[in-house]
Amino acid sequence: MILNNIEVMFGGQAGDGSLTTGDLIAGVFKRMGLEVYTYKDFPSRIRGGHTNYVIRAGTRANYGMADFVDCLVAFDLEAVQMHIEEIRSGGFVIFDNTSEELTEEVRRDDVTFYEVPLGKLAKVDLGLEIVRNTISLGVIGKLVGMDPQVVREAVTGVYKRKGEKVVDLNIRAIEAGENYVTEHYGDKPTGYGLTKGEDGDRLIMMGNDAIGYGALTAGCRFMAGYPITPATDVLEWMAKYAPKYGGVVIQAEDELAAINMIIGASFAGVRSMTATSGPGISLMTEGIGLAGSIEQPIVIIECARAGPSTGLPTKTEQSNLNHLIFGGHGEIPRVVLAPGTVEESFYITIDAFNIAEKYQCPVFVLSEQALCQSKATLPHLNFDHLEVDRGKLVLDPVVFGEYKRYEFTDDGVSPRVIPGVEGGMHLVPGSEHNDSGVITENAKNRKRMMEKRMGKLISMKPDLPKANVFGHPEAGIAIIGYGSNRGPIAEAVDRFAEAGVATRFLQLRTLWPFPEEEVQAFIRDAEHIFIVENTFTGQLARLIKVITGPLPHMHSVLKYNGKPFRPIEVIEAIGTTANVRSYAEV
Amino acid sequence: MAVVMSPKDFATATPSWWCAGCGDYGVLASLKQACAELALQPKDVAFISGIGCSGKISGYLHSYAYHGVHGRALPAATAIKLANRDLTVIAAGGDGDGYAIGAGHFVHAVRRNTNMTYIVMDNQTYGLTKGQSSPTSAVGYITGTSPTGNPDAPVNGLALALAAGGTFLARGFSSQPKLMTAMIKEAINHPGFAIVEVMSPCVTFNKVNTYAWFKENVYSIDEVEGYDPTDRKRAFEVLMAQGKIPLGIFYREIRPTLDEIVLKDSPAVAGLTIDADLGRFASIQEAYR
Repeated sequence: MILNNIEVMFGGQAGDGSLTTGDLIAGVFKRMGLEVYTYKDFPSRIRGGHTNYVIRAGTRANYGMADFVDCLVAFDLEAVQMHIEEIRSGGFVIFDNTSEELTEEVRRDDVTFYEVPLGKLAKVDLGLEIVRNTISLGVIGKLVGMDPQVVREAVTGVYKRKGEKVVDLNIRAIEAGENYVTEHYGDKPTGYGLTKGEDGDRLIMMGNDAIGYGALTAGCRFMAGYPITPATDVLEWMAKYAPKYGGVVIQAEDELAAINMIIGASFAGVRSMTATSGPGISLMTEGIGLAGSIEQPIVIIECARAGPSTGLPTKTEQSNLNHLIFGGHGEIPRVVLAPGTVEESFYITIDAFNIAEKYQCPVFVLSEQALCQSKATLPHLNFDHLEVDRGKLVLDPVVFGEYKRYEFTDDGVSPRVIPGVEGGMHLVPGSEHNDSGVITENAKNRKRMMEKRMGKLISMKPDLPKANVFGHPEAGIAIIGYGSNRGPIAEAVDRFAEAGVATRFLQLRTLWPFPEEEVQAFIRDAEHIFIVENTFTGQLARLIKVITGPLPHMHSVLKYNGKPFRPIEVIEAIGTTANVRSYAEV
Repeated sequence: MAVVMSPKDFATATPSWWCAGCGDYGVLASLKQACAELALQPKDVAFISGIGCSGKISGYLHSYAYHGVHGRALPAATAIKLANRDLTVIAAGGDGDGYAIGAGHFVHAVRRNTNMTYIVMDNQTYGLTKGQSSPTSAVGYITGTSPTGNPDAPVNGLALALAAGGTFLARGFSSQPKLMTAMIKEAINHPGFAIVEVMSPCVTFNKVNTYAWFKENVYSIDEVEGYDPTDRKRAFEVLMAQGKIPLGIFYREIRPTLDEIVLKDSPAVAGLTIDADLGRFASIQEAYR
């Protein structure tokens, strides 16, 4: 059986090397010309506790999770116990039986077990226990019919920085894995084969890295943040790269400091951002209101995790949407953008900086654990059409007395002069103020100032990222979602189409100001509308219902157990509710 | 070219919201005087304040002024200095702003030692909310929120700062303008995070710590024979001592500032002129092939 896609899961104790091996095999798949998506499911601790790393690879771009696991590499018995039910019928398990025996009750008749003493082979034959990860790669390669040469190239690529000795050791580890399979199970035991793609020259990047990269490219030269899972990678990325380009990265004492720092840097004329997750957003909420009030451009990266409170720090969820849109006292103009892929994470972050500066307000980039900490393949990034738009920033001297920081204008955006510029001295107060920035409680002024600020939500509309539309434009089944759900939903749409069922999918990329026109136009004439999201309360569905009113043919597809959707879950939910014939065959 | 500046060059047309006789007028006057004597230009001064009566001060100093949220003046000011190191950055706030809601930032601003000045206008009460106890109110101070007397020991801001690695610690009194002006000038010139705590009486709500009370209860550190402001241990002794309140510059130390450490030889204004050629960042993706 030649597969056009495969899902491999590495399971073991945190610190066992599942992540390293997963990255290694992801690199091999990429070199084979396949598209890759990885998903980290790990505990909120450093050593110990079950962890697993899923690598999806195949010929279709922008994957999420697969329906099932094809191959589980279990470094311990617990990994088998936890994941045996997720394995595809006909799939297989590679079990490291060095220190534990497989027990009968974990076996499934329709799943093949390959018992390989990975740890023992590593320690006894190669003298170093840690290479058991690489041995497992040799075993997988043999079982799924990977090109042995490509496997060796990938391993060499990963380890060449560590020297020839390390490369040699890992090559021998690959051989040890392959030989063990041949000796004990024959040359082609599974009958599995994996198709080869065309273009191996692409990138593989984590969502958070793409955000950092986008920010740097967009001219962000100040970042302040407080470490928090799953957003810390952005801070680390910027700490590594930004200083090379004159940028400053500060680890703040808390999120309150971080948000106020980036507002300060913005006041001084520098593009600035922070990156955080739900608990940090809660702490930053007051500062975000200040940025809205004094019309300071800032970008806030929100890498959502499951809440409330500490919640599930390392798991995915979309439940902070309401907070980003409505959180805080008073009313401010704000923007919420949501990339759906690693590639979009780069471009949308650049959009965020331009929108923030052009409309002088806070802009959120909303990612999620299942996207921001996932790696994916993508084409080389295209810099040809990228630009920096600094809006009404004024760097030339202005005539003192004539300059008004909050001048009333048609689009609600006032010229912004920064410290150091002759003639432009002014006050930016979080208290209500007049067009000159002088604090006033005048009722007429208050009304006009509210209308000026909130009016920016309308004038900015042409600059907001448009939604992506997939599937058949006139299909009776209409699906709406965003973020990491793009992968599983788009895959469901394709698979419905292959089975002769037409569906359409609107992937929202601007969530606030809410894209009413796009949603209205998309759902027109739909027989069934499905809102797919990782929340309990259906936050996106409620936003849609505000503009549509309650509709009998609108259904929420919800998942809130901390894990991303698998395509089959979307297919089943839609198939059951919409009474799609034979959805089980999709 | 030396430009002669007058305190009037730092005045705004905005009418003050402070009560007649408020100690904050003295702070503002000394600040303007210090800026003029240092021949600073308003365009090069970033003035950041918090919330409370003291926080209003940013509206009254002609400069690039920032009136942020309660307790967060220091993070904003730190970032403004890092974003544009050519600016003279001055933050100001009250005892509530600095030692209660902003106490966490205070400690970290001190240890970062960014080259800026922080003026704490201490009136030992919450004025703008009409007279509750503050982090520097005396034990037993009776207010609407402490009808049986404030139970909490007062914060000793300067001793706290010294423990956190403070490099310039001074205390003035708002009815001694010359001393305060000299202190603020030295603070602005200090290469590091300089704190000037000012006893600034609230004439409306604090009937205990009045001008008359202060006149009886302060002394100048200059009267102490052989006092050496580079002696950290001695500074601790003076700041921790019970009894009369010392005024003056208690401690000075030169150590690398945050802006020196992180900015190194970066341009003065980080990222003000952004590359038109974004293509120069394209090579970073090679690391992901």
